[in-house]
Amino acid sequence: MPSESNAALISRWKDEPAPLLPLLHDFHNRDGYLSEETIRDVAEGLGIPLAELFGTVTFYHHFSREAPGKSAPRVCTGNICCLHGGNELLESLKEDGATPMPCAGRCDDMIPVIIDDKAFVGKTKDSLVHRATPMPAENPGGITECVFSQIREEGRSTLDGYRATGGYAALEKALKGTPGEVIETVSESKLAGRGGAGFPTGFKWKAVADAPGDPKCIVCNADEGEPGCFKDRTIMDHDPFAVIEGMTLAAFATGAPLGFIYLRYEYPETEAILENAIEDARANGLLGENILGSGLTFHLYVRRGAGAYICGEEGSLLNSLEGKHPFPRNKPPFPVTHGFNDKPTAVNNVETLASVPHIVANGAEWYQGLGLGDLAGTKVISLSGDVQRPGNYEVPFGLPLNTLIHEWAGGPPEGRTVQAVTMAGLSGGFVGGDLSEITLDDGCLKSRGSFLGAGGIMVFDDSRNMVEAAHNAMEFFAHESCGKCFPCRIGTQRITERLNGATPNLTHEEWLAEIDDIGSTMKSTSACGLGMAAPHVTESLVRYFPEQVEAHLSKES
Amino acid sequence: MISDLDAQTTEKALMLTLDGEKVSFEAGETIYEVAERHRREIPTLCYDERLEAFGACRLCIVEVEGIRNPVASCTTQATEGMVIQTKTEAIEKHRKTLLELVASENRDVDVNQLSGYASQELKILVDRYDARSGRFSGKKSGTSNTKDKNPFILRDYDNCISCYRCVRVCAEREGDYAINVMNRGFDTQIITEFNNDLRDSECTFCGQCVQTCPTGALGDKKALRDSDTEGEIEKTRTICPYCGVGCSVDMLSKGDKIVGIQPAMDGPANEGALCIKGQFAFDFIQNADRLKKPMIRREDGELHECDWDEALNFAAAGFAKVRDKFGRHSVYGIASGRAPHEAAYTMQKYIRATYGTNYIDNCSRA
Repeated sequence: MPSESNAALISRWKDEPAPLLPLLHDFHNRDGYLSEETIRDVAEGLGIPLAELFGTVTFYHHFSREAPGKSAPRVCTGNICCLHGGNELLESLKEDGATPMPCAGRCDDMIPVIIDDKAFVGKTKDSLVHRATPMPAENPGGITECVFSQIREEGRSTLDGYRATGGYAALEKALKGTPGEVIETVSESKLAGRGGAGFPTGFKWKAVADAPGDPKCIVCNADEGEPGCFKDRTIMDHDPFAVIEGMTLAAFATGAPLGFIYLRYEYPETEAILENAIEDARANGLLGENILGSGLTFHLYVRRGAGAYICGEEGSLLNSLEGKHPFPRNKPPFPVTHGFNDKPTAVNNVETLASVPHIVANGAEWYQGLGLGDLAGTKVISLSGDVQRPGNYEVPFGLPLNTLIHEWAGGPPEGRTVQAVTMAGLSGGFVGGDLSEITLDDGCLKSRGSFLGAGGIMVFDDSRNMVEAAHNAMEFFAHESCGKCFPCRIGTQRITERLNGATPNLTHEEWLAEIDDIGSTMKSTSACGLGMAAPHVTESLVRYFPEQVEAHLSKES
Repeated sequence: MISDLDAQTTEKALMLTLDGEKVSFEAGETIYEVAERHRREIPTLCYDERLEAFGACRLCIVEVEGIRNPVASCTTQATEGMVIQTKTEAIEKHRKTLLELVASENRDVDVNQLSGYASQELKILVDRYDARSGRFSGKKSGTSNTKDKNPFILRDYDNCISCYRCVRVCAEREGDYAINVMNRGFDTQIITEFNNDLRDSECTFCGQCVQTCPTGALGDKKALRDSDTEGEIEKTRTICPYCGVGCSVDMLSKGDKIVGIQPAMDGPANEGALCIKGQFAFDFIQNADRLKKPMIRREDGELHECDWDEALNFAAAGFAKVRDKFGRHSVYGIASGRAPHEAAYTMQKYIRATYGTNYIDNCSRA
């Protein structure tokens, strides 16, 4: 079959919502890279200034502009994969044109290598295999789960299986009532943003419902770019309809007829799973017009990113969807009033949305009661690194960290002790020292200078070099800094240089003072969360591991 | 009427507290605008009042009571009752750190002021904040483009600080969208499409990017020819001679030599804008070939100086002779685009009434 012409591809997408990314992906799939001719034609076809489109294309890590392009292996060199041979694997695949990529969200089943639209895993070149995302283990604590309560049931990822295990009961229940009742239930449950920001979900939905402007929009943030986080992938792969039902409930609650799932590039199989699920739901009257005969309209689309951590930031995500340069937006105004195409928009994380059907079906009180003490609800933690059983664990808020690491996940490897953990993937920096008093909730973590965020926890045992870990982390932030605001653009670069031995002329005092000044200014003045969070890495490094810092500096000078 | 007046006077003015002082403001104003009106001299590098506020350099941060982190005053709207501090010790420290960071990524802080209108902004701030400490040393950002041989715009990106004023002025003011930003983070680089030369892009060489650049990374190549010419730079406000728009410009001279043109940011007709001719095409003024007095080419084939009456009579006789010999349509008038309305009107009147032809046009079309 001859491949489609540029004109045919452009005319297919041109009048679709948020057309730029899928159109570029079609060209990327067809040719393996984005040629100059393609960029010229797309610019003309979509009415985007050529220089702007060129700049936007170069922003995304995974868009190739020359052969072998898309088929060249991309090897994960995230923090945890590096501890398990990521760099060596990359080296062995160099002859095939391999390039490194930041954490690809498979820290429980290493090392991911993406070739075309397949994510392989394996620790050596010869052992690479293609297999499904691991299913979360049975809850080791025997707690009542929310998000994972049905995910392990046979057939749950198919529409029939989903309905047979209670799926769509929540939507049916909600459609008998009013949108206000859904918002009330979600508000009362105290569900808050599980992507890490922790903004109350019910409050956000009410703001969108009350804001003037149409069409409103629901965006599922599935750009799970935070290193050490792989929970959203598991949810979408094994329980895709929970996400779709959650989004449909959000659409009903807010009055939004339009929705997008913004999925990170590194999850190609997930895209197919979601597209199939959406098609099944549409064919069965669960998406599109007149959903379940109620008159509700909700059109849902998947849009795939192209490799940019910053696109998990909601302003960048919306700019990316709109085909603009994915810099974060200045706030206010917030997306609840000025979101996709400047219309009221609820941007919610995958886990948040997947929780909603359970909450609507079981009630706000049920969900609140899942947390320990006064804390409401549960959180999925992606646990990785030096533990015997890495994986996703749904924990009640307030669970002691040690219970999770030692009792649930089997503790560190034989003969090792836990030296440090990261929080919020990398954004919360390291927590070291005595971990016995730490519970998994922001009240406790704040007192240790950290936060739970999206729930990625990497474990480092006592054999690990924490300066190297910090360097790897800061290199990631420097790689992903968008380049808009000065403190982050220059600060992440300068801190990286100070962690990799590039500043031998600094005295120890000067080194510490520079790290401290850059970090403090980044935290206070950066325009978005990336620049505010990155200094947690060095702040915690200096706080918990001064002797390793000292050793690093002594080696330098 | 009386009731309207009452409504106006009783409507409460919006008020906020600026460094302890109660000041009024208008709905829609940003904190930066209010503060500037009250002469707070808040430092900025990515700000150009003609452009949409961008919020990149973060130098304009201020503290607002009730908000944990400082906010960028350029992108934050003033609201009723806000309590703002523009210059606390913490804020000033952050500004100094930011300037030290910016200075650390550039090859030079000091650049020739012939580079462009805003070219001294970084240097002035670095000096004001005593930020020549040499701290935060490391890799330099940006790569100068030395292959672009265009005669007008120097692209010395070793001194670029990624404020994107050039990109924004090109899009927002000029509507050309000729340049943009490639890559991200510390690797950002200002480019045309496919990183080509400016002349292969949508660039019209209006020079707006040069004049808004706060570091001299973009420089006026023609003005910089006179970097080493003796003498102080003198600025003379005048009007661009090229067309009827009447753009205000500042003519830069050293002694008797005109060395460059800068647009007047407060020019009522142009608000800092110019076109390629007004910006760069000034060499004719002091060119040796320029005719400065009326001259007639006599029968010997040489030009001879004469007075205006003689020259005009000679020309009129010439036109009359042509018309008499070849008919009224043998004359074709082309009015200069530089001419204002009145002169253009006179020109067409002259052609139509004197020769009886409608062969009259304008150089913008001809």
